[in-house]
Amino acid sequence: MLLAPTEYVRPGSLEEAIDELGARPGARVLAGGQSLINVLKHRAASVELLVDVSRLAELRSIDVAADGSARIGAATTYRELEHSAPLRASHAIIGRVAAGTVDRQVRARGTIGGNACFADPASNYPPLLVALGAELEIAGRGGTRSVAAEDFFLGLWRTAVGPGEVLVAIKLPPLGGAGVGYRSLQIAADSWALARAAAWVGPGDPIDAARVVLGCVAGTPVRASAVESKLIGGPRSAQAAAEAGALAVEGLDPPSDVHASGGYRRAMAAVMAARAVGDALGLAEEVASNGR
Amino acid sequence: MAGEGGAVHSIEVTVNGETHQVAVEARRLLVHFIRETLGMRGTHIGCDSGNCGACSVICDGQLIKSCMMLAVAAEGCEIETVESLGEGADGLDPIQAAFKEHHGLQCGYCTPGFLLNAKTLLAENPNPSEAEIRRALKGNLCRCTGYVNIVRSIEAAAEAMR
Repeated sequence: MLLAPTEYVRPGSLEEAIDELGARPGARVLAGGQSLINVLKHRAASVELLVDVSRLAELRSIDVAADGSARIGAATTYRELEHSAPLRASHAIIGRVAAGTVDRQVRARGTIGGNACFADPASNYPPLLVALGAELEIAGRGGTRSVAAEDFFLGLWRTAVGPGEVLVAIKLPPLGGAGVGYRSLQIAADSWALARAAAWVGPGDPIDAARVVLGCVAGTPVRASAVESKLIGGPRSAQAAAEAGALAVEGLDPPSDVHASGGYRRAMAAVMAARAVGDALGLAEEVASNGR
Repeated sequence: MAGEGGAVHSIEVTVNGETHQVAVEARRLLVHFIRETLGMRGTHIGCDSGNCGACSVICDGQLIKSCMMLAVAAEGCEIETVESLGEGADGLDPIQAAFKEHHGLQCGYCTPGFLLNAKTLLAENPNPSEAEIRRALKGNLCRCTGYVNIVRSIEAAAEAMR
């Protein structure tokens, strides 16, 4: 397909990239291109200048610190996440989700930062990053700032990354003794989903902290605060996971489309939430046998 | 340099071992660069939206969809297309021979993508299970054969290459 005329630059450093982005209002960041190229094919966005950050060393490293925190360069590919041993030790869920994203071809080029910045409500990483308490490091001519994942996703295809800015890294706090679960009701293997849920549950017994976040049910990831409140102070049991998960439907009004009605999505969001919490508690099988 | 089609860049790309220095428009997709600029028509365009995998090529050792990458972004890369296969005794790569033997193609349109998919899969995993083969093939669509013979072909190729 013939794209609209555009210009292209591949800066040699992050500083150069910021200069290019800041100099041209019509400049946009190109990373792996696995979403953006299709946007350009559809001429759904007009881009005067593509600033290719896919080879920037500053955006391609995975650093895991001694305390178990991780800093993932925004242009790290799914494939690199999938095969990173340090990340497997600190936040295994990131690589596991990467390994189940789309297909091998997309995993070879697509990046975690590109996925976050595309901010598609059906993507895997937005709800997961919110549940993990991630911070996103954004750089521009005005300097570097960090935005909590919860404040990063502003709406359908909209994020906190402003004109002239670029997402540099995703920072994950140490898991410590916390458990994490992630569940999707997928349309097909490694595909788009009808409902997704990510759960992070602190190590306390009774439960002292929890974040449960739903995907595919609104324009942004949705904190299931009723689920979290129900969990906190309660026991680490399969029954508690099932009862709390059921509350995910509260205040939820997902859209209907060709794949599922809003009502079905809503019901399935609760099932995914219960299972994700069960996974985070290490009780996956008990939750499943509970009929949730 | 800018023309009617936007900025033009001089890029150096190695395709099947041969290095090409060519001027391309920034907007040119890698698949069009391969098919039209270089005239190598073995790489096919199916959906042109990143879904079907017919345009799959190997870029620096990894399978990618060439309709989802700009040619300028491939500068300095080593690309392998289906034309790189076929140096065997009978002119066929072991993977091609297995597809022929096990009827792993019907119309053949999707076949270049499947052959290169199998090549990268077997390079990483010389002994894949049926489930691993099916999962690896997820990004390649075939509308004729129903995949059974494609999976059998790759199993046979794996055995022949071990």
